[in-house]
Amino acid sequence: MIQTIPLGRVLKETVATPYCDLVTRPTGAAVRGYIQKAIAGSEAPTTMLDFTEVGLLDFSCADEIVAKLLLDTDPGTDRYVMLLGTREDHTEAIDHVLNHHALAIAVVTSPDEPPQLLGRVTPELQRVFHCVFRLGPGDAGSIADVLGWTLERAADALLTLSLLRLLRAEAGTFHPLPR
Amino acid sequence: MTRIVEVPAYFDDRSFDQFAQGFGAWPPEERVLVDARTATWASPYGLVGLLTAAQALREAHREKPLFTVPASDEVRRYWAKTGFFRHAADLFEIHGKVPRTPATEDSDHLLDITPVGASEDVHQVVGRIQERAARMLSHELGLEAKATMGFAMALSEACQNIVEHAGTSGWVAVHLYNFRKRLGRRVIVIAVSDAGLGFRRSLEATQAKRFGDRWGDASALEAALIQGVSRFRDPGRGQGLAGIKRYLSRWDGKISIRSGTARLSIVPKWDDDVPLAENLPFFPGSQVQVVIPAQEGGAR
Repeated sequence: MIQTIPLGRVLKETVATPYCDLVTRPTGAAVRGYIQKAIAGSEAPTTMLDFTEVGLLDFSCADEIVAKLLLDTDPGTDRYVMLLGTREDHTEAIDHVLNHHALAIAVVTSPDEPPQLLGRVTPELQRVFHCVFRLGPGDAGSIADVLGWTLERAADALLTLSLLRLLRAEAGTFHPLPR
Repeated sequence: MTRIVEVPAYFDDRSFDQFAQGFGAWPPEERVLVDARTATWASPYGLVGLLTAAQALREAHREKPLFTVPASDEVRRYWAKTGFFRHAADLFEIHGKVPRTPATEDSDHLLDITPVGASEDVHQVVGRIQERAARMLSHELGLEAKATMGFAMALSEACQNIVEHAGTSGWVAVHLYNFRKRLGRRVIVIAVSDAGLGFRRSLEATQAKRFGDRWGDASALEAALIQGVSRFRDPGRGQGLAGIKRYLSRWDGKISIRSGTARLSIVPKWDDDVPLAENLPFFPGSQVQVVIPAQEGGAR
């Protein structure tokens, strides 16, 4: 089950502005507060933040909304956040702030393509992430076989991806996030 | 006694120190007369600086300063079109004929002089400017379409410095003009100025000890602009100026920040400015200038 939050609409509800730009820290904090309430009040494990109707996204607002949302997420909960409808300038701002905090997030681009990863993600992690997306749920052994890696290397990468909340770990099996 | 502070004939970031010098020890005890009679041109940096001076005098509880308008009718009309007199009327006792020309965002003014004091003002500024910015950056400066969003981001972050750090309100203006003297190309200039705390006072509590004897206006600017330090302990802070620098490095732009007695700039190859100027005449608050040049062969 997925919950989609249209940020353009959230902006209109939280800040009295005729514009569709996500700018300034107070605006970002208000929007993040709305998102956190929506996540807490929903059964859906994955929340999709929809940027389709968003104009400009500045660095401060990207930090308040995306980076702080990830930083505030309780690592013990089975909740995940992905992005949707981002433009190049949005992804650039989000990538910048996530790198600063050593965080990462997945952006859904098209149904057949693996999500794009933003933030502090090495090429090695990208490779494993794409592998799980392509092959479906798997464990360290299956990923190591496919990539020709040692078991430890694959296990490390899968664990890091699950700690970054880019994969869902369940009893030693790593699942792509539901989209 | 009245202290006369002359507005340089060509008033921009370079001649700003001459203007600041006129105030002497801050805040001046005498009533100030800002004399703009011989002014022939002012950049947005100069115009917002004039308003900042008057605002700082007001906040220092000094008598309302006097202002004599430029002698040139053409210069007066231009200043009126930028919105200068609309705001100056509240801050100065104006002497001389002020044109009734309303402020207009014409072909050269991307954004007339606009007060910034709260987050909502930044929304207004960014919202108003985007469509015109897209047109100007591509048609006048030959920049790619994607430069527009970066430009609006840089503007937003520059304005937020006032909201987050100044402790008072400030001013922003964005103009397009021909940078004949230094570059021989057209440029778009963002000027943001406030009469607030300044970088040194804003960062003192968290950074002074780290710098020790070196602590001052210059090291405070270095901490903020080069090291990305902010007065907030929140680790996400300080990314606004970093974002502006990133944008400017892509489009060969320049940023310079003046605060107190120092000015720190990130200087592109086309400019001959010094990276750091120290021991300048004191001026209150902070003044930020961002310059984005036309791409070679891209300007009209």
